[in-house]
Amino acid sequence: MARIPYWNISYGVIIDLLAIPVFLIFVYGLYLQWQLIKKGQLRVIPSITKVFQGIGTFRPGAFFMRGILNPKIYRKPASGVAHGCVFWGMALLFVGTNLVILNILFGLPVFTGAFNRWFMSFTLDLAGLLVLGGIVFFLLRRQFMPDRLKIPEARTGFVLVSSLLGVLIITGFVIEGARLCANTPEAGAFVGNFLAASVISQTSALQIHTMTWWVHGLLALFFVAYIPFSPLVHIILAPVNSGFADPSPGVKMGVMDFSAFDDEDAEELPALGADKLADFTRKRFLDFASCLWCGRCQEACPAHNTQKPLSPKGVIVTLAQKLAAGEMEDSVMETLSMEAIFNCTTCAACMEVCPVSINQPKTIMRFRQNLVMEQGQMPELMGKAITSLEQRSHPFFGTGSGAAEWRKDLEVPKFEAGKTEYLLWIGCSITYEQRAWTIGRAMVNILKSAHVSFGILEDSRCTGDPAKQMGNEFLFAEIAQQNIDDFSALGIQKIITMCPHCYNSFTRHYPKMGGQYEVIPHASFIRTLVDDKKLQLDRNAQTITYHDPCYLGRRNGVYDDPRNVIASVGNLVEMPRNKNESFCCGGGGGNYWAEETGTRINQARAGEALGTDADAIAVACPFCLLMLTDGVKKYTEEIKAFDIAEIVEKCLPDMAEG
Amino acid sequence: MKTLIIENIDLKKIGELMTVSRLFCDTPDIIALGDGEIPGSFGRAWQSAATVSANLVVPITQLIQQEGYEVILMSVSTLGTGLAGPLSAALSAPVITEVTAIHPDMVVDRPVYGGKAIIKYKIESTPSLLTIRRKYFEPEALAGTTPSVPLETGDEKVTLVSEKIEQTEGIPLEDAAVIVSGGRGMGDPENFALLQEMADLLNGAVGASRGAVDEGWASPTRQIGQTGKIVAPDVYFAVGISGASQHLAGIANSKCVVGINKDEEANIFNRARFGIVSDYKKIVPLLTQAIREDR
Amino acid sequence: MHIAVLAKVVPDYEVPSMDFELSNGRAHERFSRMMGLYDENAIETGIQLKDKTGSSLTLISYGLDSDVQFLRKGVAMGADKLVLVKGTSDDAAVIAQNIKQAVEHLGDVDLILAGQQSADMDRGVVPGILAQMLGAAFVPQVGYIESAADQWKVSQMTATGRRELEFNGLGVLSITSIPENVPRIPAVRAIFGAKKKPVVKLDGIDQGKMALAEISVEIPKIESVCEFIDAEDPNEAVKTLLSRLTEERYI
Repeated sequence: MARIPYWNISYGVIIDLLAIPVFLIFVYGLYLQWQLIKKGQLRVIPSITKVFQGIGTFRPGAFFMRGILNPKIYRKPASGVAHGCVFWGMALLFVGTNLVILNILFGLPVFTGAFNRWFMSFTLDLAGLLVLGGIVFFLLRRQFMPDRLKIPEARTGFVLVSSLLGVLIITGFVIEGARLCANTPEAGAFVGNFLAASVISQTSALQIHTMTWWVHGLLALFFVAYIPFSPLVHIILAPVNSGFADPSPGVKMGVMDFSAFDDEDAEELPALGADKLADFTRKRFLDFASCLWCGRCQEACPAHNTQKPLSPKGVIVTLAQKLAAGEMEDSVMETLSMEAIFNCTTCAACMEVCPVSINQPKTIMRFRQNLVMEQGQMPELMGKAITSLEQRSHPFFGTGSGAAEWRKDLEVPKFEAGKTEYLLWIGCSITYEQRAWTIGRAMVNILKSAHVSFGILEDSRCTGDPAKQMGNEFLFAEIAQQNIDDFSALGIQKIITMCPHCYNSFTRHYPKMGGQYEVIPHASFIRTLVDDKKLQLDRNAQTITYHDPCYLGRRNGVYDDPRNVIASVGNLVEMPRNKNESFCCGGGGGNYWAEETGTRINQARAGEALGTDADAIAVACPFCLLMLTDGVKKYTEEIKAFDIAEIVEKCLPDMAEG
Repeated sequence: MKTLIIENIDLKKIGELMTVSRLFCDTPDIIALGDGEIPGSFGRAWQSAATVSANLVVPITQLIQQEGYEVILMSVSTLGTGLAGPLSAALSAPVITEVTAIHPDMVVDRPVYGGKAIIKYKIESTPSLLTIRRKYFEPEALAGTTPSVPLETGDEKVTLVSEKIEQTEGIPLEDAAVIVSGGRGMGDPENFALLQEMADLLNGAVGASRGAVDEGWASPTRQIGQTGKIVAPDVYFAVGISGASQHLAGIANSKCVVGINKDEEANIFNRARFGIVSDYKKIVPLLTQAIREDR
Repeated sequence: MHIAVLAKVVPDYEVPSMDFELSNGRAHERFSRMMGLYDENAIETGIQLKDKTGSSLTLISYGLDSDVQFLRKGVAMGADKLVLVKGTSDDAAVIAQNIKQAVEHLGDVDLILAGQQSADMDRGVVPGILAQMLGAAFVPQVGYIESAADQWKVSQMTATGRRELEFNGLGVLSITSIPENVPRIPAVRAIFGAKKKPVVKLDGIDQGKMALAEISVEIPKIESVCEFIDAEDPNEAVKTLLSRLTEERYI
């Protein structure tokens, strides 16, 4: 016998009618969320027209892929599967419920034949069980919280919504069981049949059915209305936040325009960076509102992992609390310490693991910008590096190296306008840190060996990246503009970089200031040379592990080229944390110039690298090389860390000749 | 040439200036400042208890003019630095500070650019004023004392309210045969105690680089370098000191420099006779222990 | 009250010895130019005093037109204006003479601060000459300054300790570095603000040279070959070091 709508229920339509105000309450709840987010600063980007409500560009693809399918949530298998069970189980049940409504309204024949058996009965019973399983997991986990949820604080409200949902599912099953008990078992409805046969007594089945039906219906309505007022609102906010998220990997800080400061008539000058909630944009507000305080970010954070004051979760949670309380104008730095703000290595591991697409580093960097540019406050060593960058165009204060010492006794061609094809960009670290000299020398030899038309600049330069990382956008803009002007004069179009920070500056920031170049990281360039057979390398049996520099990997998605190069000279072995899950060397975000507290990040990473028992640790970044060279010293006196160019140079057959 | 030494009563400083004066004359005269007998044998001697340079400019100028001194020698010190400029202007006399060498025919050397270059001057008129960098001339052993007449100082421009002498326990840096010095690489003021312990065992003194003094880890009186104290020990242990040229300028006359620094590229190794590339926290306690066992 | 701080633009004082080079007897022009080390300490001290006493603060320099861009940092740190006397002399008496001209141009200066010594010539003698020319008291190596009832109370950081001194009227103080006068890093707003602050340029005079002839400038040869002692086994390393020191009779 087919199911009959409102069987055993009088006035069941009341529930349907109540759904209308419930829907309105739901929408009103979302409207309140929008009212909160609307308080953020408008994002003003003249070049982008599709800026939805001043938040940013909405990308439906990201909304669906990152927001709904959300592969990131499954990186933690248990809680990932639990989320999958609840979300997709509820989605099926939602479909089922709507089919019932369609049946009532239009007589859609859903309760007959194989569809009834396999979908309406079996699948929905299964879905209910999955949801219930997920709920049980969540409730247990709230009882026994891992550190990432507890520290520094756990978000409340989950137990109530989870319990509500659990009761809904159980009452749903009871209704089904009671109905089938009073009638006959239904093929496919295995949970209902089981309850009908073993739990519910025939005599009270009708009564139980009626009562539970009303309880279930009213609770369901309450649940839906409560969603926007509970942490469960993340089922809406998380996909929306993902839809608005920047599609490019890593943190994109953009470039700042300082022309208003030079303008005599400018009335109110914009605040640089942020020191209170009101200084953030709507997108950041959406970040804060979306955050579930799950702490995956802080678990991935190199600073937090080495007992430093910074927790990316802590930063977002602080702002989320201010947002909830409407404290727009209070200084946030009282809660967050300056030390924490400068602990960030800008490695982007936090945003990489964030299941709801929050950009934590950008928020942290806004605070840093304010401290540096508005208040002139920063840790002493960073201050010295910035001052040196300003005074001598490089941040290596107290260096023992002269500008041309790295290429002593080595013939290096100069870039000649109209003649040279590639500019080999040297950068500050290779010039001023003796350990990094050999990266430049190796690369010169590699390019010579492959007969590449290349040249270097007359003088030593910096892209300005260290200033940017330390929050001094102003100094960055000055240095970058100077470089762009000089590059134009020289007609430079193609640039090979050995430093991912330089690469990132050239590709992400210079174009916005009018500097468009074809920029190739040296690992990628070497790979092309190998693939094109322009470089003959002697392969040997050495095992090499590869440390992904944050600015090459997570920030720019270059994972395979360096690995291919390594595979062409030796055997690659991976570290436990590799590619997009790579652990920072500790030198990013200007923290090369930091007095570290707690465990030193470079030692932690060097330990992991040495754990692979590889003969060499390859890197593709001079800062990583310097940090890991130092980190390795904790464990062994042997020199273990090398730049990929150094490793390749040793495998050039003609190197033996000199 | 008629030579005048202006110096506080201090055996070493006067001794050094005496050595220098022999290049110009047989027996110099002296204006000695402070209390006590004037050590050494001088032609004539004046003395005043006043030591604040600003109050001495007028009487000294008058004396130099009256007596017709041709060379005036001071050491690089608060007194010498305080007098050199004003006397030069008052006498329209050439002045050369921080002199490190004296050649015949009134040719003198002084370092410039933080000691990265040496400039040679010929002095072309008299009187001339020289301040001599400490530790570049062996102090003459001063025999006997010279009786003095008081130097009338007149009105005080600047009043000395109080003077606090830092109690540098043990041997003064300038006289120490062994100096254990810490820099910014120490990372922590507490760890200066490690250096003190080692210095005590060696009968030495503890010094500091400008970096460590700027951090507030060591008293400014411990600062060694171009703008601190110039020292010339037999052994100078530079612990966590990178070796900026300004610091090296202060230890130029050390006989043996031992660099202990975890940065193998630290500039101190360009000056050091022995170098240990390691964390000083590992080395210094062991070194102290080894010295203790040795004795 | 009006405080003047003297500052000089010099070639990078941090150039490593190995890379140091001369041209025409002076540091090679390829080295970056910047304000001297102690000059920034003096400016910082001046700004703190300005903030405490509500004074105005003027930066005075002697040098080239092109020095202004580097001196602006001092303005951005908190000075109100800049007076540049144009000239190229290295003679201490000539420099003092020119600065005196700037001080007289300002007319109402109550206190003059200068770095303990410039970072190029390392002489430390200009402030003293200037003081004498102005009839002012000169106190070298000052760390702390306080203004109290028509009097300046200053602390002189001597080789043996600290002296508290007092004086009336115009004084020239040379400033040493202390933990409290680490130069501040100007905020961006102040850097832009500095571009709008007045710059007065005066033509210098080139007379009154001292009777000195510069004969030569040379880079001394540093010949020290460092014997590195293997630190793999720290125990072994300290023993080796001690025995080497004893062998060569240093200890």
